[in-house]
Amino acid sequence: MSKSLKDVIPVGHTYIRDNVLEKDTLTGVSESKALWAKDLDLPKKAEYTFFAACGYQHMKYVEAMMGALKSAAKVGVGMGKVVGISKVFGKLGLDLTSITAKITASKDDPYTPVLISTVNILRKLGVEVGYLHEEEPCCGSPMYYAGFEDDYAGHARKNYEIFQSFGVRKLIGLVPACTAALKTVYPGYINGYDLEVQHLLEVVAQKLKETGIKPQYKERVKVVYHDPCQLSRYLELTDEPREIIKSIEGVELVEPDPEQCGKWSTCCGGGGLEATHPELSERIGVRRAEELLETGASVILSNCPACDLQLTRVTKKLGANVKVIDLVRLLDEALA
Amino acid sequence: MSSPGLEELEKEITDNVQRCWKCRMCVAMCPTYEGWFTQSTAGRLMAINLYIKHGLGSEEELSTMLYACTTCRRCQERCRMLSTDCRPADTILKARQYLVKRAELREGRES
Repeated sequence: MSKSLKDVIPVGHTYIRDNVLEKDTLTGVSESKALWAKDLDLPKKAEYTFFAACGYQHMKYVEAMMGALKSAAKVGVGMGKVVGISKVFGKLGLDLTSITAKITASKDDPYTPVLISTVNILRKLGVEVGYLHEEEPCCGSPMYYAGFEDDYAGHARKNYEIFQSFGVRKLIGLVPACTAALKTVYPGYINGYDLEVQHLLEVVAQKLKETGIKPQYKERVKVVYHDPCQLSRYLELTDEPREIIKSIEGVELVEPDPEQCGKWSTCCGGGGLEATHPELSERIGVRRAEELLETGASVILSNCPACDLQLTRVTKKLGANVKVIDLVRLLDEALA
Repeated sequence: MSSPGLEELEKEITDNVQRCWKCRMCVAMCPTYEGWFTQSTAGRLMAINLYIKHGLGSEEELSTMLYACTTCRRCQERCRMLSTDCRPADTILKARQYLVKRAELREGRES
């Protein structure tokens, strides 16, 4: 008896791979990619190109899909057995259209505005960015982390050609996983890869220093910063976000145990794990939230769509009196 | 730049595990560790090593272990600072590529 791909690889991962390869998005929802930017008047060509990525735009769908997955998971997913999940995801695929129809109708989406805030911040700091609008590809990094190396390499080469055809030289990324992929993984698969990739926080930290602008937040808050894994250990950005938070007037930064922040920050369990091991993912999330809540902060800041989603959900589940805000949105308000 | 074949991957994975001292520094770092050894970095590495070298275990079991990793790299940082720097998180990723590649070869996919 020969085992096929779907017997061995969790269906959550093959599902995402098919979405990326066929529809060039994370969730397979064929929504216009540039909807968020329609009022921003971003040029296609500029010195810096903003890479908006699927993450923040599709998080609202992911949230609904994961909700459906978890309610279906009561049928017996247990410790993340591959077979159990495949059944659940089979059901999920059928319901996808009705789920997304519900979402598109609701305006209650905290994730997409992060992209608008990013452009606002860059403009306030004097950086004009371009954006590829509908032509922006999905970076495909979920495929890489799921082990689909050949598919990923092909996708990366195709993307590099797209970037070249638009004359892109310098990219500013926002979603940590995509930025890390573009910066550190792509060069291993593409000959003569020459794109200069920076994360938004690097640019912002540097510009804040150069311009001497002092952001001011409307109220006094005690915040704790959750380092997303991809930022702290893949891109090694742990000082920049803290510099930025400390520069905001009215915001007091508290830290959890030194073994749980910075480059030792604990993973929140969000992202890809949710698609394959939802229950384990939630337990990890609860453990991370408890570490953060111990500091007594009233706001948890993060800077990753997966972490935002995961921490929002687990803090709600714990009934904690705490808000989860993306660092970018807080900074945008403080710069007004 | 073609991606490595099965044998190359096998060698890379087992070489990396060979360098591991089994100090288990990574175990306490792993966010998925809840008491069972195979829920931790070192456990996953030993499982894939035993599978490649001695054919122990099954692909389904390996899949459940390997895909439970969040690839957060906390173990890798610890290994780099305090132990043998055998790149445990990257090795788990390689092991996933190994599983995918085997399945693709069985299905006769051109790579």
